[in-house]
Amino acid sequence: MSQIKRTPEEHEVVVIGSGAGGGTAAHVLTSKGIRVTLLEAGPMIDPVKDFKEHMWPYEVDHRGAEEGGAAYFGKGKPFGYFTTTSGGWQLDGEPYTVGEGSEFLWFRSRVIGGRTNHYGRMSFRFSDYDFKPYDRDGLGTNWPISYEDLAPYYDKAEEFIGVTGSKEGIRSAPDGIFHQPPPPKAHEILIKKASEKLRIPCIPNRRAVITRELNGRPPCHYCGQCGRGCVSASNYSSSQVQIFPALKTGKLKIIDMAMAREILTDDSGKVIGVSYIDKKTRLEHRLNCRIVVLAASACESARILLNSKSKHFPSGVANSSGVVGRFLMDTVGFGLSGYVPALEGLPHYNSDGYGGSHLYMPWWEWENHGKLGFPRGYHIEIGGGYGLPGIGSFHREATVYGYGQKLKSGIRKDYGTEIGFAGRGEMIPNEHSYCEVDPTVVDRWGIPVLRFHFKWSDYEWKQARHMERTFAQIIETMGGKVVGLSAAERERDGISIPGTIIHEVGTVRMGSSPKASAVNGFCQAHEAKNLFVCDGGTFVSNPDKNPTLTINALTWRASDFLAEEMRKGNV
Amino acid sequence: MSNRRKGIIQIGEVSRRDALKSIAASVTLLSGAQMQLEAAQHVHARVKEEKSQVGTYKPKLFTNHEFQTMGRLAELIIPADNVSGSARDAGAPEFIDLLCSQNQDLAVIFTGGISWLDNEIQHRHAATFVDAAEDLQKAMLDRLLAAENTEKARTAQGLSFESSQHYKDFSGYGVYTPSDLGPGAKFFNWARKLTVDAFYTSEIGIKDIDFQGNTSISQYEVPEKVIDYALQHSPFKG
Repeated sequence: MSQIKRTPEEHEVVVIGSGAGGGTAAHVLTSKGIRVTLLEAGPMIDPVKDFKEHMWPYEVDHRGAEEGGAAYFGKGKPFGYFTTTSGGWQLDGEPYTVGEGSEFLWFRSRVIGGRTNHYGRMSFRFSDYDFKPYDRDGLGTNWPISYEDLAPYYDKAEEFIGVTGSKEGIRSAPDGIFHQPPPPKAHEILIKKASEKLRIPCIPNRRAVITRELNGRPPCHYCGQCGRGCVSASNYSSSQVQIFPALKTGKLKIIDMAMAREILTDDSGKVIGVSYIDKKTRLEHRLNCRIVVLAASACESARILLNSKSKHFPSGVANSSGVVGRFLMDTVGFGLSGYVPALEGLPHYNSDGYGGSHLYMPWWEWENHGKLGFPRGYHIEIGGGYGLPGIGSFHREATVYGYGQKLKSGIRKDYGTEIGFAGRGEMIPNEHSYCEVDPTVVDRWGIPVLRFHFKWSDYEWKQARHMERTFAQIIETMGGKVVGLSAAERERDGISIPGTIIHEVGTVRMGSSPKASAVNGFCQAHEAKNLFVCDGGTFVSNPDKNPTLTINALTWRASDFLAEEMRKGNV
Repeated sequence: MSNRRKGIIQIGEVSRRDALKSIAASVTLLSGAQMQLEAAQHVHARVKEEKSQVGTYKPKLFTNHEFQTMGRLAELIIPADNVSGSARDAGAPEFIDLLCSQNQDLAVIFTGGISWLDNEIQHRHAATFVDAAEDLQKAMLDRLLAAENTEKARTAQGLSFESSQHYKDFSGYGVYTPSDLGPGAKFFNWARKLTVDAFYTSEIGIKDIDFQGNTSISQYEVPEKVIDYALQHSPFKG
């Protein structure tokens, strides 16, 4: 072990990971004067240089198809060349395995800010009932905290990062502190009319985009390209909104290209530091510190805990309960599109807007699950409008219209007439869905990798069929036609491939009992008071509310608690 | 349109970039790294230079004959009309040649496909594709489309009977047999995909379909005449 570098310096708080959890922890702790050392497994980011916002496809010779037309062979960047994603479902040298009979895809972003650089920025509070799922239907487990516990932190998070929305008083979608939402686009006005006819609420979207100046960040300029990264930081990413400003406090030190291997403990089980591999030199380093905040993403955090074995923790740090890696959940996804004749011949207009749909449908049947035949809800996201043309935009038309003037006129006629719906629903945790350390495989850094197991149950399949019927009804109510799935395709593609919605959570769950959970309601490990887990891992359930805002709020609450415990000398 | 844009500030291309640069400088801070502002002009100059001298473009992979054939195919797929130019005008052959020069698999698809096409049409008309009369070229493409549709029907049958759990025991036989033109239909599908992409990602194509976004505005609104039109043509009129 002569390769290991030990630093004599004592670090105060080491945060592992720089996404929604790590960014929030770094921001809140440094703002209280606490010194933070942030480990990120990828490089730094320079928005001005790295983001491709406002680029036209013809500004690159491959037009977005990437070198050698990689996009045509399914080897292009996830979500397209112009997006800011750094990472994907497969990373060179950092594999994972999947158990026999299972399917799971694991998305990882190795870059400062992680997945917050590119995510959809949907920002929905959990409902009061989301914290007590077991009490409602006898499935899953209750959270150790309630909506009232988290509400003040939803307030803080929304105020700081900026979220659009409107006061609606809908129980499934609690109101928050909102920026003015932009007005609906033409196709959304029709969708809203159709939804209301079907008694489905259709309300202004809640996205982490600012429409007025906030802490020096200028308001949105409506280019619709949030996914490319926003040079003006008018949307939330932990890199631009939390980490770069935290650097200005002088309290934050970032170590990039640092792949965390293990959490180090002493003989009494107390956490004393972190070991990581410097990817630039492949040397292992050890940092001594007072506190560790693990925010590497749900599955990566589980992996680090499981790989941190010692005499005191034979099954991994903070894992005497054996729950680490269990209760893995993703969001149920299903999408359907339709052709809408009313949009044909529409005078064209700039439909970019603020980078996602301007309206959405929150769950509306929370009192009717007995009748529905499945226990949990979903929300509906909307697509449509005149997208910036890219690779693949008109492949469907190409096969419909053949070639020649017929094809050219057909594309002109069809452009902007298609709308789409994406359901995002809650999954019930089940015993077949978990991750564990693969006993035979390590990555290029020598760190044992994860092996995934996953199965949707009938609950999720039934929910997806309800989505399909609902979307078809909305499309037909607005006079449209489903551009839909055949019966065979529905069997194959009738529900998202596990992991592809990128909402994987639950693998380091919180709870009041150390026997059945890894951390308490403040994200603090039951078995190690100076270890906190601040990412989707702590989720007890995975409501149909995209997880990021709740990670922000839980982390803010945990950071407040941690700062107070440090002040009192309890940790 | 212009009156609906009242109150909306349209920032010009150059000033918008400047504006974003200064904004970015104020909200970002990199540890130790000097901000490289000129890097914002993240434009790949190489293509632009080559594009500026269309007509003198030297194919990287295609022979001159292949390049001319691809050009002819491109303008048959997306022809010029009274609204805009053709896919050939929009740089489709250059785009396809570039990608093929970087990818052996793609090169095989295109050089092989063009050669197949020439061979097929020569058997019938004693001329290469590019030298054949327009009606013969179109008749050839029509045959490829028909073969494609046959192939599609075959695949759809496979989908519904073979991969469907409900039809596990279905023992029916396919009524569609593969076409001799299969390789040509496959190639044409590739040629059309890349041609369509090249056209609609070009300045000509983006203007052709009247895309109005990718801009910076201070306030977002949807023109009333657009909303009126949509409502009037929907089941919700009146």
